[in-house]
Amino acid sequence: MKLAFQLAYKNLIGAGLRTWLNVGVLAFSFIIIIFYNGLIDGWNDQAKHDSIAWEFGEGKLMHSDYDPFDPFTILDGHGVLENDQLNDLTPILLRQASIYPEGRMLSVALKGIDANQTILELPTAALKNSTAEIPAIIGRNMADAANLKTGDNILLRWRDKGGTFDAAKVTIVDVFETNVPTVDAGQVWIPIKKMWEMTGLENHATFFIANEKYQPSNILDWKYQNQEMLLSDLNEIIAMKKVSGSIMYLLLLAIALLAIFDTQVLSVFRRQKEIGTYISLGMTRSQVVGLFTVEGSMYSFFAMILGSIVGVPLFAYLAKTGIGMPAASRDMGIPLAERIFPVFSIQLIVGTILLVVIAATIVSFLPARKISKMNPVLALKGKLQ
Amino acid sequence: MKNEAIISIQNVTKRFPVGDGEFTALKNINLEFQRGEFAGLVGPSGSGKTTLLNIIGSLDSPTEGDALVLGKNISELSHKESALLRNKHIGFIFQVYNLLPVYTVYENVEFALLLQNIPKVQRQKMVMEALEWVGLASMADKKPDKLSGGEGQRVAIARAMVKKPEIVIADEPSANLDAENTHAILKTMRELNENLGTTFLFSTHDEKVMGYLDRIVHLRDGAVEEDEIIKSKTTNQ
Repeated sequence: MKLAFQLAYKNLIGAGLRTWLNVGVLAFSFIIIIFYNGLIDGWNDQAKHDSIAWEFGEGKLMHSDYDPFDPFTILDGHGVLENDQLNDLTPILLRQASIYPEGRMLSVALKGIDANQTILELPTAALKNSTAEIPAIIGRNMADAANLKTGDNILLRWRDKGGTFDAAKVTIVDVFETNVPTVDAGQVWIPIKKMWEMTGLENHATFFIANEKYQPSNILDWKYQNQEMLLSDLNEIIAMKKVSGSIMYLLLLAIALLAIFDTQVLSVFRRQKEIGTYISLGMTRSQVVGLFTVEGSMYSFFAMILGSIVGVPLFAYLAKTGIGMPAASRDMGIPLAERIFPVFSIQLIVGTILLVVIAATIVSFLPARKISKMNPVLALKGKLQ
Repeated sequence: MKNEAIISIQNVTKRFPVGDGEFTALKNINLEFQRGEFAGLVGPSGSGKTTLLNIIGSLDSPTEGDALVLGKNISELSHKESALLRNKHIGFIFQVYNLLPVYTVYENVEFALLLQNIPKVQRQKMVMEALEWVGLASMADKKPDKLSGGEGQRVAIARAMVKKPEIVIADEPSANLDAENTHAILKTMRELNENLGTTFLFSTHDEKVMGYLDRIVHLRDGAVEEDEIIKSKTTNQ
């Protein structure tokens, strides 16, 4: 085997440009595959982290009548927990409402949150510290959509528990920056105590956010969703993105492997005399097949080296500085930061190397198999078709 | 050293499929070659010279009959066993040299020794010795494309001889050489034959080559026409 590597190395180096073209294409595939997966993994990590930090906490205890995907359940999907059940939970009450920025009506989700909470990164301290009658915080996307800024007063209309419309001025006390659209777009956050007063739903909550100390238990009319369940949608989106993206890089890999396959087919055909010479010098046919297979798989080793020379500094730079995402892409409804920091894990790199090396070995072996059936006499004459 | 049959061809017939029929390249050949012979198969194209050499070299096997080389029946050898036979006991010299183009002269000659797992220091000694036999020690680092035809064939001789095989098979070794180079390589081979006792078997229709042979087997249409023993050959022709 050592001999096969020595000979394959000499043959590839001796083949010059043909070798480096194949290696170049394969190295490009290496870089693209690792880059794309690193980007997706980075996005995945960032999206999960931000979703937990801004929206999910350690989990959600939701009223069983409330369905986040059905706005008709907002009206009745709320309830009250006993005091001894409120430990380690932050209540959030959700109601539908409208605001009237610049005379236009805008439907919003009005959310009451405990101003003293520390589980989520929402800047609720601004609500606590404000002297406004009804202080509110909104996200940057919401502020941009409604053309609002800190200090603005705006008319808010909502319905109380009896269904009667009521209206009051709210004051925007802070505009926060977040990557999580589900706490930003179309949302207005006010202190829950104020909301209880406004709606007459004293101590009611649509759902609670749990902290890390919370111990889930069966509570009538309430259902608990842990982080894993809450992140399942996000995981599915990312998995789908990976699959769709993998088609692109598999195509790229296929082109690179096709180049190796073609080179091998051409080699077996053009190097017949060489093959005959190897056999006449005492190599077995399986040794020659092994030599040609090693030659093919060695492309992937060279590509790994070339890919490392180009890729390592590039990936290190990208992992440090991140990649800017266009503003339009943040309207997709999923957590997406302004800059995504790719994550190039050992598993990703080793997995990609194994994928490319194994694939290159297989596509090298397939044409090389012909050698085992080759007549050495005809090979020496170069007369095989 | 002589008078020991190193090659024994017994009733060998070789047929090749051609279209729907068959072509008989060798017809019931019976021959013996002794250790240390400097012999040649001579005849026109299609007479079966190369076919017989390929069978002796275990690159091919007879359709009928037995070809015994160093006591081994070629027809009964597995791929691995025939590879071992070639690697240890048979050297080949081809008409177009068949040097491996990406290797240097040194590496081409070293190749057979690599297959035998000979230690590096010993390999170096053997390769340089073989290159000195053919007068190319100073060209060890050159690539084959930098060599003349005569030099290329001398590298091929060194490659065939480096492992000190018992048999060297030379298929039309002078076909691409001018007269001067032909005489040069034949003299080299003759010296090696005399000094090392290696059996040389040629196929040729070059009279310059025939002039060096101890024995000429004339083939015509796949059969032995005449087996001519020529005595008193020397290296100083």
